[in-house]
This record gives sequence, structure tokens and C-alpha cells, in this order.
Amino acid sequence: MSRPIHAEAWQRQRVRLEGTRKQALETGRNRLLVTSVVFALAFLAIAGRLVDLTVLGRGAESHLAAVATARAATGGRADITDRNGVILATSLPTVSLYADPTEVLDAEEAADKLVRVLPGLDRSAVLAKLTSRGRFVWLRRILTPTQQYAVNRLGIPGLAFQRGEHRVYPHGRTAAHLLGFTDVDGRGIAGLERRFDETLRRGAPLRLSVDLRLQAMLREELSAAFVGSRALGAAGLVLDVKTGEILALASLPDFDPNRPATAGGEGGFNRVTKGVYEMGSTFKLFTTAMALDSGTVTLRDGYDASRPIRVSRFTITDFHGRNRWLSVPEILVYSSNIGAAKMALDVGARVQRSYLGNFGLLSRSPIELPEVAAPLIPARWRDINTMTIGYGHGIAVTPLQMAGAVATVVNGGIARPTTLLRRPDGVQPEGRRVLSVATSRQMRALMRLVVLRGTGKRAQAPGYRVGGKTGTADKLEGGRYRSDASISSFVGAFPMNAPRYVVLVLLDEPKDTDGKAATGGRVAAPVVARMVRRMAPLVGFAPVPAEETPQGPHPLLASLNPPPAKVREQSLAAH
Amino acid sequence: MMRRTTVLFVFLAAALSLALFSLKYQVQDLEDEFVALNRSILAERRATHVLEAEWSYLNDPVRLGALAARHLGLRPVESEQMGTLSTLSVLPSGREGAPRTNVADRNTLPLLTPLVGGRAGR
Repeated sequence: MSRPIHAEAWQRQRVRLEGTRKQALETGRNRLLVTSVVFALAFLAIAGRLVDLTVLGRGAESHLAAVATARAATGGRADITDRNGVILATSLPTVSLYADPTEVLDAEEAADKLVRVLPGLDRSAVLAKLTSRGRFVWLRRILTPTQQYAVNRLGIPGLAFQRGEHRVYPHGRTAAHLLGFTDVDGRGIAGLERRFDETLRRGAPLRLSVDLRLQAMLREELSAAFVGSRALGAAGLVLDVKTGEILALASLPDFDPNRPATAGGEGGFNRVTKGVYEMGSTFKLFTTAMALDSGTVTLRDGYDASRPIRVSRFTITDFHGRNRWLSVPEILVYSSNIGAAKMALDVGARVQRSYLGNFGLLSRSPIELPEVAAPLIPARWRDINTMTIGYGHGIAVTPLQMAGAVATVVNGGIARPTTLLRRPDGVQPEGRRVLSVATSRQMRALMRLVVLRGTGKRAQAPGYRVGGKTGTADKLEGGRYRSDASISSFVGAFPMNAPRYVVLVLLDEPKDTDGKAATGGRVAAPVVARMVRRMAPLVGFAPVPAEETPQGPHPLLASLNPPPAKVREQSLAAH
Repeated sequence: MMRRTTVLFVFLAAALSLALFSLKYQVQDLEDEFVALNRSILAERRATHVLEAEWSYLNDPVRLGALAARHLGLRPVESEQMGTLSTLSVLPSGREGAPRTNVADRNTLPLLTPLVGGRAGR
């Protein structure tokens, strides 16, 4: 046991003895110490990081676990749906077939096989493509999954598929003018597709106020009238008077958005928002409403409509002439131009202009479509303009503006912006009061009377209280009115005791049938009646028994013969 | 002592690396499974999307109307076909346990459902 001690002592002795060696050893030890400290620190750092990553991870790697998003599944452009969520426009993944001719071994056989599974391909054209020089030829754009499977099964080398995306409109022409369409690169170039291009690209789906069922109904009924009357065009609109939502909007002729090539010319023209028309007698609603609301007349007043009005080179005559004194209700119910002109003159140009402005008839409607026309209004508002505007001539507005203004007349007098986007349930946009509640109530009674007793009898729908006004305006062409071409329209609302919907139908140049003039009451009113009959059960209205109509003359239509105490007469000589 | 610790540490290191090795492969398998699931979810979504478009196409009111007219002889509902319970002459008697008809607030009994119909809101 003493030996190691001895050796140790000996060693110490040796270390102590050799000073230079000791120095070298000290240096080595220090260096070792420094190195080990550095290593220890490095290991500590690694250990710390390891604990940080594993124990205190806080989901730092969570991006690895990203769940597949819906957007990735449907590709780029978002869907457009109707108010119930039925898809109106969607983007579908598609495949297109192309070939690399250098890799096709037997072009003849390949062409034979392809023509068999893809009907519609021309064999000689395919053969020419497959034997052509170059390394890329399209054979067929947009294949169905079944066709793709069939082509794959042929097992022809040199054929390949290119993935892409394609905009599809499952309902074709039904809502063509609303939706518009996209170009081959998926950019919206018309209709809502264009207006909301950015939104749809971002992947945010669009929910419209339109109800596809009503839309299909309106298009069907409008189409029948359009064909039956051999008109140049037709426009129709269903509007919710409480919210300003458009439930259906159709314009004929139309196009198939699945084939944008059909949208050229007349077909692509949206008559409801882009067509401006002199509406004719339907404007008398506004004249009567503003005269009643401003206190110019009461329902008991009347005008002399026995003689045509002559102002400079114009003559204002009545179509359904009665040639006598007419009360204010009679002027509307029998649609007297003379009476309306006199009433408008009584109201005055300034007041008329302000009311029409409040109805939204003097400015472009704020609808969410790129295809919107501004109304045509007189540059100088003279008395003759006031008079003609009183019965809807000398001013041209879009059917959409017309329906919006009538909604204001019947809904209690509040103007609300019309929209194509669905408003949240129960939300009523803030409107602006244009007419008093009392005026609106009177106007509703008068509009009902037009259908019960006046020019709009054909708009009656059993069980549903329809009210409205007919309009038949001669078309202006090259500065002259044509007596053989007219714009015939009917704007109706129902149920008249508490209106919910405005239905407007307009036919452009309907042809006379059986020697009977194609007036608004004859061609447009029946379409509104059919539309009401079909749509009412769907929107939750049960038929009600007709209100008791007293036999004999209606109290509001009591003939004003002899003239009442307060009858207004204009001295027109001055004008 | 020194030797024992060394052996212990060597053993521990071997065990840990083995555990790490198997864990790594386990994670890799899970990730593969995850990617496969994601891919199949995407495929299913795409398929659903196509089917939704087809459903919308097949439910086109115009098409349904034509089919119903041709094969079922149905026509759009008319107001004469709508009635209320009060218009029915024979009402089920109020026997004990007889089901009570729950009448909607409008007291309406549509005798024929409308011919065309879209899908209810999603």
C-alpha cells in the first residue's frame, strides 16, 4: 500500500521539480477547462432548445397539420346562389384532352377509337391533328368525368389531360341577365359576375335576393306572352316592397350564359335595367299620388276631360275617351291623358320634379349590376313637359325604376333602394318617406279599383287582391310617335290591403291580334295575373274570398255630372 | 463505479435512440396518413361540389315542371285548389286519442303542394 503513495509523492516531486513542464500542464488544463465550458454551454443550449421544442412547443409546427380547406377543394371562383341556397353559378374542375402527336403510335386506330367514345369529334380532323408536326394539339376542351374515364380506358399512348376550371350555370337561361357570364380565363365580364368579380375571386360566395322558383315562373309566363304577342322584347320584375329585394328579374330575348357567344346583340340586352322606355299611363299613378300628397286635389275633385288639350303643335287626347268631367279616381281608372295632364299642371313643374326625384325616377338606380341606364329626362322642364310627364310621355325610365317607384307608392310611402343581394331576415333597410301613409292608402284603393273597374280587369287573380295600372305608350322613333308600335305594360301589386310584392310586366312592340289593339291591359295584365296566381301560394299567401263589391256605381267613381262645386279648369291659352 | 455509469449511459443512449427511431417512423406514418386523409377529403369535397352542381341542375324548376307535366300530369297549383279546414265538410271526430291536426297560423291546408320547388336553405 505504501508504494502508490510513494509513487505519488515521487510524481509530485517530479512535477514540482520541472517548472517548465508544470507551466505547460497548467496551460493545457486551462485550455481544457475553457473548451469543456464552451461544450457544456453548447450542450445546455441544445438541451434548452430541445425542451423548448418538445415540451413548450405551443403548436409551433401546427402548419403541418393544416386541414384541407373548402377553398382548395372548389378551386378559385366562389358560387352564386339564390336566396334559398340553390346554386346558380359555380366553378367545376374540368379536364381537357390534348395529344402529343410524336408519341401516338397508330394515328388511324387512335382516331377511330376516339371518335367512338367522344361523339361530335370529326374523324378526319382528329386524324389530321394526330399526324401533324409539333408536340401539342388540343383534341377536345372540357370532358365529362365519364368521357375522361372512357378515353383513359382506350389506353392510347400520347394522349393526356389538362386540368382546368370552368364556370357552369346549371339553370341556363333562367337567370341569364342577372348572372352575366365569365370569359375563358374566368373573369366576370357581364352581370353580377362582373360587378362582384373581386369578391367571387376572393372565394366569398354571393347570395342573391332572387328566388329561383319565382324567377323560372316569371321567365316562363313572360316568355309565353312574348311569343304569343310576337313582341320585339319583354321585361318582367318581381319586387318585395318591404325590403326592396328583387325576387325575380327577366328580360327577353335572352341568352345562355353557358355559351357566352349567344349573348351578343339583342339577347345580351337587359331590358329591365338597361332599357329606358316612355312608360305611358302607369306614370299617372305618380301624378295622382303627388297631387293627393301635396294637397293639390282630393279624391272628390275632378277635371274637364271633354275636349282635347292643344298646346302649340301638340294635342293631348284620351285613348279611352269619355268626353266629360272626370273625378280624380276616374282619371286614373279610365286612364285619361287629358285629366292627368291638367292635374300635373296643377301640381306644378317644381313639385313634380321633386316628387319624381324622391321616387328615384330621375337618377340611375343603385342596383348591383354593371348594365344600368340613366333615365332620359327633359333638359328644360317647361309646362308642356310637365303635362306630358303627367301621363308618362317625354320621360323615359327603366322598368326597374318604375317598379321601385310603385313599391314606394303602395308600401306606405317609403322609398327604399332596390337590391339583388339578400338582406338578412327581418332587416329592413332605412328608407326615406316620400308620401304620407294616408296618400299611400288612397293610392292602394285606386289601384285596386283600376283592376276591378278600369283598364286593368285582366289582371284579376281569383283569391288574391291585385291592384295596378296599365300603360300603353306609342313608341318614339326618329322624333315621331308611331301609332302602330307601342310599349305595353302593367305594373301590379298584391295583396292590395297590405302589399308585399310588386309585379311588373312590359312588352316591347306587341302585335295586335284578332284586330284588337295590344294594349297594356290586354297583353301585359294577364301575365301579371298568371304570375300572381302561381307565385302567391309559394310565398305563403292563401287565397281569400273577394271583398264585397257593391253593385252599381262605385262610390269613388260616381259620375261627376253635373260638375261638383270645386272643379279645376286650366286656362291653356296662356301656354 | 465509473464502468457501471458508462454501461448505464450506453444502455440508456441505445434505448433512447431506439425509442426515437421508432417514434420518428411512427410520426412519419401518421403524417403519411394525414396527407392521404387530406387528399381524400379534398377529393370528396370536389366530388360533393360537382354533385351539388348536378343536383342544382337536376332540380331546375323548368325541367321539373316539364317532367311533372309529362309523367305525372301535374299542373301549377290554382287558388281553387287551396282551402282551409273550415271548408272541409267532414272533419275527423274528436275521439279520445285521435291525432289533432296542427294547423298553421294562416289556418291553411294546402291540398296540393306546389309543383316546382327548390331545395330548402342549407
